[in-house]
Amino acid sequence: MSGARERILAAVRQGLGREALPVASREALDARLRSTVEPDQHLRPRLAEGDIGYLFRARLQSVSATHEPLGSEAYVPAAVAAYLDSRHLEGPVAVAPCLRALDWRRAGLDPRFGQSHGEDVLCVSRAFCAIAETGTLVLLSGPDNPTTLNFLPDHHLVVLHAPDLVSHIEDAWTRIRAREGDWPRTVNLITGPSRTADVEQTIQLGAHGPRSLHVLMVDPGDR
Amino acid sequence: MTQARSHEFRTRAVQALRDETLKSALARAKDGFVLKRRQALDALPEYEALRDRAVAIKNHTLEYLDHYLERYEEAVIRQGGHVHWAENAEEACRIVVEICRQAGARSVTKGKSMVGEEVGVNDALEAAGMEVVETDLGEYIIQLANEPPSHIIAPAVHKTRGQISDLFHKHHARYGLTEKLVEVPDLVNEARQVLRQKYLDADVGITGANFLIAETGSNIIVTNEGNGDLTNTLPKVHIVTAGIEKVVPTLEDATTLLRLLPRSATGQQITSYTTLSTGPRRPGDPDGPEAYHVVLVDNGRSAMLRDEFREMLRCIRCGACMNHCPVYGAVGGHAYGWVYPGPMGSVLTPLTLGLREAKDLPNACTLNGRCADVCPVRIPLPDLLRSLRHRQFQHQLGTRRARWALRLWAWLAQRPGLYRRVTTLQVRTLRLLGGRRGRLRFLPLAGAWFRGGRVLPAPEGETFMRAWRRRGKNP
Ligand code: SF4
Repeated sequence: MSGARERILAAVRQGLGREALPVASREALDARLRSTVEPDQHLRPRLAEGDIGYLFRARLQSVSATHEPLGSEAYVPAAVAAYLDSRHLEGPVAVAPCLRALDWRRAGLDPRFGQSHGEDVLCVSRAFCAIAETGTLVLLSGPDNPTTLNFLPDHHLVVLHAPDLVSHIEDAWTRIRAREGDWPRTVNLITGPSRTADVEQTIQLGAHGPRSLHVLMVDPGDR
Repeated sequence: MTQARSHEFRTRAVQALRDETLKSALARAKDGFVLKRRQALDALPEYEALRDRAVAIKNHTLEYLDHYLERYEEAVIRQGGHVHWAENAEEACRIVVEICRQAGARSVTKGKSMVGEEVGVNDALEAAGMEVVETDLGEYIIQLANEPPSHIIAPAVHKTRGQISDLFHKHHARYGLTEKLVEVPDLVNEARQVLRQKYLDADVGITGANFLIAETGSNIIVTNEGNGDLTNTLPKVHIVTAGIEKVVPTLEDATTLLRLLPRSATGQQITSYTTLSTGPRRPGDPDGPEAYHVVLVDNGRSAMLRDEFREMLRCIRCGACMNHCPVYGAVGGHAYGWVYPGPMGSVLTPLTLGLREAKDLPNACTLNGRCADVCPVRIPLPDLLRSLRHRQFQHQLGTRRARWALRLWAWLAQRPGLYRRVTTLQVRTLRLLGGRRGRLRFLPLAGAWFRGGRVLPAPEGETFMRAWRRRGKNP
């Protein structure tokens, strides 16, 4: 198999009409890799003037996601309970371990903390950050935030802290690079619920993933 | 490699033109794609600048492809993944089958992968005794119908709701689902229900990659259904199949391309799910695959670097060129006979399978140029098709009649006086044949063209050159 590797690389170089690159060129290319050159500022789509929170909520709406403001993370369990109630949902609930410390009992809930195996009607996870440009939630995999929570339930609720809202996609990469630890196994950019247009171009929500996506926006300044 | 029937283009195109169901399915899809793309791009003033940047990024990466592939490989390995290299389709299939065997796999789920289609990985896995389930709804539908995709982003675009209803009715009975469903939400729901169990049972999940990131060793997939995510999260092994041209240096580079891909494809700013997968699950991770493999496929790509066809390697598989192609719009994807249809397929198929197998494809083009206008990475598709025609001529692959006709025309064109006289006579004759309605329904030596009920407007009675001169004098 390593033979194939050498042959393909040789074929690539032959196609390019040159030998393997000299060290100096390689170093220059590696510098480009490390510097993570950002396209000139003018290539970032210009966002509407004003508050990016407003834009983010408008984008959420345009992709059929819903949202509600919360004054503190402590209100998350009650918001989840109200969500279940208002939609008459019954069945198991799974919550990301990073939200374990909240008082779920007081809200009358007894969720499981950890990944989903597909039986849950609703899952709650926490966004690492969100992108106003596109109305996108960014979720990272890990012990406190299992990936299966994002895809297996019918209803996916995501806790987002207002300071974690960034304006453009590149800002999310910068944040992920800046955090401690390795690059995560999975980075999910989630924009609205699952959808398909494969049957006669008719948009249908809930193809394989969640049928609805609801954002709990924690903003202490928003009381 | 997936069996090609590109040499049958003429027959299949004629069949397609007579298929009324296909015609209505294609018309509906085309309008939707074209309109939504237009709206998305109108809302993006940076579009042209982003295109220039995308071309520059892709050209840069291709120029140094060997280096970026090596850096990408290192990054994957650093994250605990494995990289395999496949020179051709057979090798790619062998590698995938071997990984699945080693994992003791009985059932394999697949997210949409055009490279998977290209190399024919499903057939290889089934031959090895494994169950393969396509999970993208469109791919699932055509898998049930036992057909290749007819569009690169909407594989079942040629199927009507009625046909899908029949397919589900026939194939879902074995799961105890016997009611015949007709409404779109019910059909989608039933597929969701059937496929949900398949995800949970699968031992291996195979996805494609829209981009491979040299910086992090990640692969990126762009989907709306979430099927790709269930495929790469639930089974214990995740295999990524990707062409070697999919690598880009950094996440910032990928971001520029990501701003163009969904807008050009479906008119979305971003799809519901854009997912970066990097290596297997980490210590402490409760979910995610235990092993992560990438199969890098050449299959003719390195040879394309040599000449003008290098430009084709910029393709990000958005499908805009086929959505805007009048030939694709009339005959649909299956007529092209392989996995890549439309303008991009008419370039890629002959380059991958050989000019002989696909000899009609470069000619099934009106050279109207819309594909190049809408291509987000500015691939000069009509120029590339013209180059292929030129190669065909050089390799004496045209029909004898076409070659003689071209020679005759060349001879005539070098004699301007005679050319003018002959064309004036032709135009007058055609005008007469066209009759009062000015329509031609038959011409000697061109019977085949008129089969299927086509009509040709007759010339107005003046040659182009005369009209040009006349207007030049009194504009
Ligand atoms: S050739 Fe251009 S328009 Fe066609 S699929 Fe590729 S990127 Fe899209």
